Amino acid sequence: MTDDSLLMQAIQKGDTSAYEAAVAQHVKSISHYAFRMLRNTKDTEDITQETFLRLWTHADRWNPDKASLTTWLHRIAHNLCIDYLRKDKSSLSDNIDDVDKIEQPDYADEESEERLAALTQAISELGERQRSALVLNHYHGFSNKQIAEIMDVSVDALESLLARARRTLKTQLVQKSEAHNKLLKAPTRFQEKS
Amino acid sequence: MIITPERFKTLIEAYGTQAQRWPEDERQLAIAYLQLNPSAQRLVKEYQELDRLLDHHNIPSLTLIEKRVLSNTHRLVRETVVDRLLNWLVPHSERILGWIWRPALAAAFPLVFGIFLSNYYSFGIEQSGHSLEEELYMLSLNDYAEIQQW
Repeated sequence: MTDDSLLMQAIQKGDTSAYEAAVAQHVKSISHYAFRMLRNTKDTEDITQETFLRLWTHADRWNPDKASLTTWLHRIAHNLCIDYLRKDKSSLSDNIDDVDKIEQPDYADEESEERLAALTQAISELGERQRSALVLNHYHGFSNKQIAEIMDVSVDALESLLARARRTLKTQLVQKSEAHNKLLKAPTRFQEKS
Repeated sequence: MIITPERFKTLIEAYGTQAQRWPEDERQLAIAYLQLNPSAQRLVKEYQELDRLLDHHNIPSLTLIEKRVLSNTHRLVRETVVDRLLNWLVPHSERILGWIWRPALAAAFPLVFGIFLSNYYSFGIEQSGHSLEEELYMLSLNDYAEIQQW
């Protein structure tokens, strides 16, 4: 019997310390996933809280033969995020209180910052399912089969989502870069006069 | 299983340029294909910048949120029925109109209960004993004509 199974058996029996252990183990991954999907701390907290509430109330629905605990929890979080984004797009905001400053990469210069900002913008413009696939693949390290399970799609459909997401990001970054280069090459008024 | 140029393109577009992200069952073949094919190497180079940016696309540390979720979890599984009732009545919310109906409902409950009780129990209060017909009959006997005073 796996650790997950033992933990879930205890949770199903109402063992609060087992539940707290499961939350402590998965809270970081779930909150990061929710934040990358929603870019909003308030909703990230709500979705994370709701995911773990469902772990407590629906523990009996977990099937160890079908998915690992982390896959199951991410599936709950994914469904909650998708529902939220489809229902309440109008309330999306960039409320990012209660977070520490974003660590900048070592090489950070003006151009890289611009490109990262462009990437952030491009990711936020992806469709929810493409964004979810990309986040689960690139930042959470799930295998293609696990992501397909989380998103309830076939592996082929997942590959199609991922490929479209990356192609879109690449195209947008190239366009942004070209626009930036044009701006740099354009003569300034001072140069024109002289 | 063989890796065709189309399949390799799909792998790069879907999973990126880092081999550890490629599907396990195709990884070794894809790596071998990459080493032998200059066109595959060019494709990888095209997508490397995107992967580099994705790698550096950090999010802020969510420690406070994680702590709050953990403490709420602790409270959730240990709170009593009374706590849950109180939380339901007066939830922690910024939307005043969203929760004000709950205390209002709670305040109205004794009133509804009182009306319900008084409909069934007299609580020792004697009624007049006359039926509606008797009351009407007695009213009809009253003389409402004005007494003329000379």
